[in-house]
Amino acid sequence: MRVLLVEDEQRLAENIVAALREVGLAVDHAADGETGSHMAEQGVYDAIVLDLMLPGKSGQSVLHDMRHRAIHSPVLILTAQEGKESIVELLNAGADDYLSKPFDLGELLARVKALIRRGKGTSTSLLRMADVELDTVHQTVLRRGETIDLSPTEYRILEYLIHRPRAIVSKQELLEHLYDFAWEHHSNVIEAHISNLRRKLNLAGTEPLIETLRHRGYRLTGGAPA
Amino acid sequence: MTTPSVSITRRLVVSVLLLELLAAVALIVAITVHERHVQLKAFDASLAGDAESLMGAVQDAEDQGDNVMLDLRGVQLNKHAVYRVEDERGQVLGSSGDPALLSRAILNPPGFFEAKAGQIGYRLFVLHGVRTIDPGKPTGGISHKIRIVYGLPVGHVWHEVIEAIRFFAIATAILLGVTAILMVVLVRRHLAPVHELAYEADRISSRNWQFDAPLSAKKTVELRPLARALEAALLRVHLSFEQQKRFTSDAAHELKTDVAIVKSSLQLLSMRRRTADEYSAGLAQSLDDFTRLERTVEKLLTLARLEQPAESDKGDGTQPSCSLRNAVEEALHQSRPLAELKRIEVDVEALDAAAIALDGRDALLLCSNILVNALQHSYERGKICVKLARRGTDVVLTIQDWGEGISEEDRPYLFDPFYRGDISRSRKSGSTGLGLSICKAICLRIGGSIEIANHPAGGTLVTVVLPAYKRISTTRELSA
Repeated sequence: MRVLLVEDEQRLAENIVAALREVGLAVDHAADGETGSHMAEQGVYDAIVLDLMLPGKSGQSVLHDMRHRAIHSPVLILTAQEGKESIVELLNAGADDYLSKPFDLGELLARVKALIRRGKGTSTSLLRMADVELDTVHQTVLRRGETIDLSPTEYRILEYLIHRPRAIVSKQELLEHLYDFAWEHHSNVIEAHISNLRRKLNLAGTEPLIETLRHRGYRLTGGAPA
Repeated sequence: MTTPSVSITRRLVVSVLLLELLAAVALIVAITVHERHVQLKAFDASLAGDAESLMGAVQDAEDQGDNVMLDLRGVQLNKHAVYRVEDERGQVLGSSGDPALLSRAILNPPGFFEAKAGQIGYRLFVLHGVRTIDPGKPTGGISHKIRIVYGLPVGHVWHEVIEAIRFFAIATAILLGVTAILMVVLVRRHLAPVHELAYEADRISSRNWQFDAPLSAKKTVELRPLARALEAALLRVHLSFEQQKRFTSDAAHELKTDVAIVKSSLQLLSMRRRTADEYSAGLAQSLDDFTRLERTVEKLLTLARLEQPAESDKGDGTQPSCSLRNAVEEALHQSRPLAELKRIEVDVEALDAAAIALDGRDALLLCSNILVNALQHSYERGKICVKLARRGTDVVLTIQDWGEGISEEDRPYLFDPFYRGDISRSRKSGSTGLGLSICKAICLRIGGSIEIANHPAGGTLVTVVLPAYKRISTTRELSA
């Protein structure tokens, strides 16, 4: 999952980016409203963390322009303001959640993850697909009750696919949502990770879970998610 | 202790009633004098008339000695009247009343006078006349010189006067009562604009600054200045309140952000188990973040202190003073590493001796803030020019750089707390946005000024004008 952080405060941004990356999210950072707005409009973010007081373009206008251009990424607002009116206004303008500064980093992570889940149409932190169970809080994967040990990238690919059951997900889409600008990304890296993921998920007597469609991408099969 | 309340209505009513009362008393006195005069005149006329009647009642006695007698038939006399009629021989022809009073009174020359008999005061009239018996006779008749004293108790006159006074006193009392009631009603009605103004003013609160003086108050000549003053004062208070509110909100924002950084640094560090090196780097980073929080708090406190009235500088009431030249030299010394880092040439054009009424630390803060600002906004290998000169009773410090200059957009807000123009001036450059606010507060504190402008050569020119310290002996001592 890929998150955009729009925050002008350098040190705070550094900490938030580090924390989001620690929980396996790809993070891009914009230090001002104008840049943030441009980045958000690419539409590749699964969640956006937006500070309100930004130099140049304010957080409010970033949010407004984004929603105006039909970018539906869930938005978490960071604010140091107390006024309830402005919060109500922001929620009405299309924000999904807000957090007051100084916030708890753990809470920020939990809220961002919840926003990503809700953005994908899931409300629990436990995702199921056929006999695979994915715990997004502890980042563990079980198949038929057996723990499957995945690398962070493999886990992220599986999480992304589980969020889009039976949809064809292209390599490009995976690249866009799993990697931020800080990564060197090549499509053959994806192929390698998918192959590893398949091997690890393939327990004795189970059906193959990930289907490859030539030139089109990947699809998670095996019944409806619980 | 409660302040005794004063009512304008009451004062007005009491004043008018007192004036009316005074006028009424004066009127009554005048009436008394006049009435007494009129009554006495009438009284005297009646006395004279009655005396003439008595004279008329002196008749021929038809006796041998051609004497006269008093014949009172047909003469109507007041029942309280006293009189005595004598002929030239002292023969009493008729008398009524206190003989002692009358025998004495009849000796008075003709005319009016007053006398007392016991408790009763009388006004008396003495009339001398001649009565001729048988004037038809060839001898020409016999003339008798008649003396008459006639009097009436004077109390009657006073009774009339008192009656008149009573009438006027009652009329005045009624008039005063009616006036008082009318006054209260009218004054209340005419003071209504004051109440309306007060009502409107009472609605002002920190939530509602809307104040429009009622039309009635604006139309009233006496209230117009008050209404205008209220409107103007309110506008100033509102602006200052808004400024204060903005400052508080900005300060809270800054502090919260700094706290958020510190908190997130520590939380990030504790998210999972880390290596000793990671912990050590994380702690060092957290310490840096703390230092920044500390610096923000310190600057906020400095600004708050500087914006306090200057009287509280020292307990003993003496003014602080220092040499601005020393402060500039110290600031130059402190900023040398930054200048060397950016290879900026710092050119000191002049450094006149200049004592100012500022605490040494504040003077240094002022100089180093401006200098560091100039260095930060200069290009590498640039130049800065510092000049300190006396100009009349002022001390002028100018610091010129050939850097990026300031945008016209930012100019009005440069001294606002927490204002950081474009992104390059934002927090990441390490500024708290309080430096220039602090400079301005320092200058204003001693009645000086600070201005920032772009100069034609490109770059910024900061001009600080401060009044020179007044005590000459100290100036010499400091500039030495």
